[in-house]
Amino acid sequence: MRESRESGGRGHDRGRKKQYKKKFLFRKKKFCKFCDEKIKFIDYKDVRLLQAFTPERSKIFPRRISGTCSKHQRKLMQAIKRARILALIPFTSD
Amino acid sequence: MLQYETVFIGDPVHTDEEIDELVKGFEQIVTAAGGKVLKVEKWGKRRLAYTIHHHEEGIYVLMTLECPASLIKEMDRRLRMNERIVRHMAVRVENELQLGPSPMMRPRPERDDTLVEPLMAP
Repeated sequence: MRESRESGGRGHDRGRKKQYKKKFLFRKKKFCKFCDEKIKFIDYKDVRLLQAFTPERSKIFPRRISGTCSKHQRKLMQAIKRARILALIPFTSD
Repeated sequence: MLQYETVFIGDPVHTDEEIDELVKGFEQIVTAAGGKVLKVEKWGKRRLAYTIHHHEEGIYVLMTLECPASLIKEMDRRLRMNERIVRHMAVRVENELQLGPSPMMRPRPERDDTLVEPLMAP
């Protein structure tokens, strides 16, 4: 009886897991935009640049997703906070 | 003497002349205290990202100064007391002093600058 089932059971799940892992392996390598473009200093006045790192809800884009290196993330954070004080970019958006 | 960047946001009801007057006043204070004004940049009227004291817009002015630290304290006090000023901020410039036009003066691309640029590929 058990052998006649087409789906379900452990074997099936294991197959799915493998597929997901494969996809993950071929993900494009993340890189730090600032290291790549050799931007030494992140200006709080550069609103367009900062907006790219404060998507949708205006939260600071996390390093684990953007791939920014820790050195530049710290500088970016400082710049974003300064721009927020000057109402150049919002603290939150709805 | 150290270098500082001061940005203040003026009340949008004021005209350009009134803002110029304000800037002139600050320049006098700086020179009187033995400092130097390296750059004054007017960004004009901009929409604020959030309302400050019921203001939707503000007139932005950037001043780059070289002055003793005590003057920044004095400037801060004056900027705070001035009713024409909505918000102000002074930051120290360490090794990235730029006397050329700031990114704010770059010509705006065709589309509105409030748009969020597409993020980098994950």
